Amino acid sequence: MASNHPETELIPYLRGELSAAERARVAAHLDGCAQCRESAQASSAILSRLARAVDDVREPEWADYRAELKRKLRAAQAGRSRGRWWADLQLPVFGWPSIAMGAAAVAVLAIAIVMHRGARSPQAPGVDQLELQQELSSADVGLLANYRVVEHLDLLENYDVIEHLDELGPEGRQNNATPS
Amino acid sequence: MEPSDEELCRRVAERDADAFELMVDRHQARAYRLACSILGNEADARDVSQDAFIRLYQSAGRFDGRSRFSTWFYRILVNLCIDYRRRNRWWRQMAPLARSGGDDPDERAFDPASSEAGPEGEAMLSQSTSRLRRALEKLSPQQRAAVLLQTQEGFTSREIGEVLKCSENTARVHVHRAIAQLRKLLQSE
Repeated sequence: MASNHPETELIPYLRGELSAAERARVAAHLDGCAQCRESAQASSAILSRLARAVDDVREPEWADYRAELKRKLRAAQAGRSRGRWWADLQLPVFGWPSIAMGAAAVAVLAIAIVMHRGARSPQAPGVDQLELQQELSSADVGLLANYRVVEHLDLLENYDVIEHLDELGPEGRQNNATPS
Repeated sequence: MEPSDEELCRRVAERDADAFELMVDRHQARAYRLACSILGNEADARDVSQDAFIRLYQSAGRFDGRSRFSTWFYRILVNLCIDYRRRNRWWRQMAPLARSGGDDPDERAFDPASSEAGPEGEAMLSQSTSRLRRALEKLSPQQRAAVLLQTQEGFTSREIGEVLKCSENTARVHVHRAIAQLRKLLQSE
């Protein structure tokens, strides 16, 4: 029965890692199981092949390697001594850009959620919404500041409106915000 | 008498530059080779193994002596290698041929060649090693690390478990699956 084959113990057996009792049990199984004997032989061949493969690795010039390591270590130490607390976070190479993109994505999501809520409630905007709108107006977010106008426009038919969006006053926005 | 790794590590924690230099000198070749085997790329192996030494320098004080120094240090190294591969997975998928070399489709199926067989035997050995490396590339990082720690560093299953933060039995499963997968891959070529 396949489940009785000591598959994961064959390599520890070959390497002499097993206890005496385990070794005896695996040895007894191998005596009567050609499949496991074949598996053990094949595994042994691959293990020795892997061990020899390490000799083929071309080594660097160790003096250069150590000099480069010293430079990197000095740079790392200098960064730490300047109080760069974020150096302790040991972020991967692309860590900070990823965090920036993540923050941007969260910000966009937050804006989208607030806009969506605003679109569903026709009442006067709350304090939070007003603050957000003021922030949006002052921020360089382009069409988002005139979202209520834009959402009811046909982009092809109302190209002129889009082109002069910045010139629209509050009244124009209100009129355009009403769906026809 | 040569100081032990554990003694050197204690001195490194006290910012003893000579001890650190001795430590690097003692482990650089093994660390580089293991990183090279896991990453399959010499330049990456150089960077990552150097990073491991920097981490060693910075965190030597955290080595508590409960395990062998080599187990502790190789845990740092293997984790860095695995993280590095994970981060650069997309790039490796785009440029898989840049590193391993030996992509001759006429290469013979895997069979151990003797290095005493003259130039032809050497060539076969080189091709065979290339196939082995390509097959290694297809293993999961844990399987690759497990089998390489065993064959190249002589770690036991228990020590592999300590490096990979898993049980001894799980380490055995990693090694078993790695070897089974290598057999399958090498036979199918």
